[in-house]
Amino acid sequence: MSTAAELRFRLQAPNSKGRSTAVIALDAASESFIRRLSEDQWNHATFLKAPIADTPGDPQSDDGWMTTIDDRQTRVRDEVGAADQVIMVASAGGHAEAAGLVGRACSFKRVTTTALIVGTAGASDADVSKTLAQLRPWSLMVVISDSEDYVTDMMTALRV
Amino acid sequence: MLRKEQNDLLTQTGPGTSGGRLFRSYWIPALLAGELPENDCPPVRVKLLSERLIAFRDTNGRYGLMDEFCAHRGVSLWFARNEECGLRCPYHGWKYDVTGQCLDVPSEPEASGFANKIKLKSYPMIERGGVLWTYMGDPEAQPPLPEWEFITVPPAQTYTSKRIQESNWLQAMEGGIDSSHVSFLHRGDLNSDPLFKGAKGNQYNLNDSRPVFEVVESPGGLYIGARRNAEEGKYYWRITQWVMPSFTMIAPRGNHSVHGHFWIPIDDETCWAWSFDYHPIRDLTAAEVSAMRDGKGIHVRTEPGGYRPVANKDNDYLIDRAAQKAGRTFSGVEGIGMQDASLQESMGPVVDRTKENLVSTDNGIIMARHRLLRAVKALVDKGATPPGVAIEHQKVRSAAIVLPPDEPFKEGAREAMIARPSVAPASV
Repeated sequence: MSTAAELRFRLQAPNSKGRSTAVIALDAASESFIRRLSEDQWNHATFLKAPIADTPGDPQSDDGWMTTIDDRQTRVRDEVGAADQVIMVASAGGHAEAAGLVGRACSFKRVTTTALIVGTAGASDADVSKTLAQLRPWSLMVVISDSEDYVTDMMTALRV
Repeated sequence: MLRKEQNDLLTQTGPGTSGGRLFRSYWIPALLAGELPENDCPPVRVKLLSERLIAFRDTNGRYGLMDEFCAHRGVSLWFARNEECGLRCPYHGWKYDVTGQCLDVPSEPEASGFANKIKLKSYPMIERGGVLWTYMGDPEAQPPLPEWEFITVPPAQTYTSKRIQESNWLQAMEGGIDSSHVSFLHRGDLNSDPLFKGAKGNQYNLNDSRPVFEVVESPGGLYIGARRNAEEGKYYWRITQWVMPSFTMIAPRGNHSVHGHFWIPIDDETCWAWSFDYHPIRDLTAAEVSAMRDGKGIHVRTEPGGYRPVANKDNDYLIDRAAQKAGRTFSGVEGIGMQDASLQESMGPVVDRTKENLVSTDNGIIMARHRLLRAVKALVDKGATPPGVAIEHQKVRSAAIVLPPDEPFKEGAREAMIARPSVAPASV
């Protein structure tokens, strides 16, 4: 049944509905990258900048505000709650503390998280480790890549 | 999801294709050395990268791999006589040496020099670690000989088998780096297969069916770390190595041997699944080798005299619904190798990746495709040597290791992921 000839009998009906994805830059370097990325054509993506907790400095804060790429303020829980998956992007050595705020909101809403550390080509292992330590507790999947192109390829692969 | 043109680029490996050019940058396994057991033994037909070839071992022990068909009337040289340093076509007696050079055309006067003008396309073939390797690319760019650890340890420490898989190479290889399926598809075998059972790591696997993954680019390909909970807040890591284009190495278990695969295209709809097991510091036991020959672990029982699995699509892989229902096997198919192969073949000869719905845990697969596409482009546009050709990219090991929660596996397992002679593998 798995011959090439049998392939023509496979159903051609769509087998999935669109998934909403929130793509969140966690630091300044990744913010400019996210801004460029937002100019490409995507199906169901929202691009957001690093969130700020309601009570800045509180590591246990579970809600706060973030800004869309066009500078509109929005609540973290609302954005996460509207998404089927969240992609967090951080640059190697960047400050990714906001991962905790996003991660707690995702955990509360049962939303899948993927974290990407980009720009690793010129970064030291210590820089990558520092960022990784901030992302790891909040991510189902962490990808460390020296290629920003990978983010585009991954989003395409995930039908963002 | 991949666009159709990307899927075609990676799955088509015949002559003149970009994906084929990538594979032709490497030494690839062609035959088991045991298939040509002695000088002047019968020749063997082999198809690689959509090219039909004939392999033989001449009177002096030299290996030849060349166009299967006689230049005269197109007869298959599988029927040839292997005699006096060459293959002689039985139809009209044309004879070829291991380089494909025609040595004799009996119907033409020797002095005419006609034979000198006849030469079949041929490729170098060498024996290393019980495997015959060939390089099918530009002779000017021939890389150094392969140095994978499983072919450099003493013969008593290593065992290699091969089988035909009736699917494109890429979907087979992608199974090799898809760590998240182990807790489901193979869960019935972790505590029963003689080549897996008894390892402490198995319990981590079975107790935590939702691993967390980290994918890290390596010089030759990828490290894919699957993290599960261990005692005292520590993490149990299983680290898979993928080296381009199609070498995968699975994390070991306990004191069992280390194992992995090569996935080599036969053509675009079938591939060779090469499976190796070795131990870096000890001989394999007679019981282990017997189990491997019997299709345990990642190996598969094949039909007598050939390499097609006994369980295959024509007999529905001998599926046992009672075993499935009872939980002895998760899919009803017996054996880890056939559990993988049956599902991968069920996708069709070349899976339509425009229809798939990947999820976050598929990032290992997504990254592998990304790196393959990047390497093909660099090779075609700039002639760049792809990752995996350099010897240092081949000296790798998979690892299973327990680490503190804040330690990146790339750092905690840095030494364990390098193949070093006489150093034990990192295993749990």
